[in-house]
Formats: sequence, C-alpha cells, structure tokens
Amino acid sequence: VAAHEQARHRRLRDTIAAVLGARVLGEPEAALVAFTLDGAHPHDVATIVDRHGVAVRSGHHCAEPLHRRLGVDASVRASLALYSGDDDVDQLGAALGGVREVLG
Amino acid sequence: VTDPLYQALIVEHDRSPRHHGPLPGATHEATIDNPLCGDVVTIRLVVDGGRVTDARFEGRGCALSRAAASMLTTQAAGRRVDELRALATTFDQLVAGDPDAPVPPGLGELGAFAGVRRARARRGCATLPFRALVAALSR
Repeated sequence: VAAHEQARHRRLRDTIAAVLGARVLGEPEAALVAFTLDGAHPHDVATIVDRHGVAVRSGHHCAEPLHRRLGVDASVRASLALYSGDDDVDQLGAALGGVREVLG
Repeated sequence: VTDPLYQALIVEHDRSPRHHGPLPGATHEATIDNPLCGDVVTIRLVVDGGRVTDARFEGRGCALSRAAASMLTTQAAGRRVDELRALATTFDQLVAGDPDAPVPPGLGELGAFAGVRRARARRGCATLPFRALVAALSR
C-alpha cells in the first residue's frame, strides 16, 4: 500500500506544482498534497474539480493555526488511497487547469 | 466556459465587487465568520428613518460569498429595513428550494444564485452575507 501511494504521490505533487498559480504547502511526503491556487478560493476550486469527477477537501482541515502560520485563509487538499490511480491524478490536473476559465 | 453555478453575473461581481470597503458613519454593523471554511464577512449599514441609505461589505471568502455580498449591498441602498429582511428570507428560500422550481420574484441579480440549489455544500457561502445583514439589522 505504501509503495502504491508513494508512486502516485510523486505524480500528484508534480501535477499540482505544474498548474499555473499553484502553491504546494510545505513539503508533503506521503499520501496527500495541500495547496492553494492564485485568484481562486479553495471552496471554488473544490466545487469546480468536483464537476470533473474529482473529490478534494477545501478549508482549514481542522488546522486553523497552521493555515494562519502559512499565511493562507484556507487550502485545497488532495488525498490518495490504494484505489487512486495515475488516471485519477491526471484527471485532477486537467480539472485544475480549467478552474481559471470558470472563474473568469 | 459556463458553469451552472458560476454564472457570468456571479463571476463578474466576484472580480469587481461593488460597495466593497469601509463605511464611515455606519449606524449598524455585524461580522459573521465560518470557522470551518475560513470565510468572514462584515456588513455595514447607514440606517436613517427605517431606511438603509448606504451599505458596504468587507471580508474574505470564496467567489460565491463575495458575489452575494456585492449584490446584496448594491440592492440594500434605498431599501426599507423590513424590505431587506424580506429579501433575506426570499434568498434563503431560493437556495434551500427545489432545484427545478421557478426562481422566486423580487431577487433581481441575486436570482443568479439558483445554481446553488444543486450544490448543497455551498449554500452557506451564498447566505453568509445575508446572515451578517440580519445580524446587523438586529443591533
């Protein structure tokens, strides 16, 4: 399980980092990546990628002091599990690329 | 690209919010925050003789809460307090209503939020400024 997640995680991290205006928070090492997207609130990002079949969490993730420390109001968080494949990661990447078009 | 939730009118109000900023001389104000998501909105009003003569908002939030606050403060100026309370009630009815029902009359631009009926998790974003409005009017 760890090996599967680790392999997908590299792809996830690279995919998100490649999106225009994306900022990966911290240096995630396993299973999840929290990030922000310039000019788009995390709730809007989550709703828009949901329409492309990708479920992510948005908000404080029960870590409000950490978000304050990082200087962000909230973040988007993508998480992996055993059932997540490369195609899911790519689907997220494509969906994130469309966020700006929706928000004008 | 059009999205049933992010109507052009909503996107436009989010990008260029009206009535955004401080309001010197405000007689009523309230701040409502949603600690779960980090959104916070302050509504300030000048109320004179039972009528709102000016309204402004400040805060941080998503496109939906910003656009709702912008449309709300735009409509508030010149309206009677009881009319604004009724507007808040009508807006609540819209976002909680059947997604296929007709949009209730009297909402003006706020009718663009009809798409929130199919995005249950986002209703609270749209209604946040209205909760601040009602709280401000109660003070």
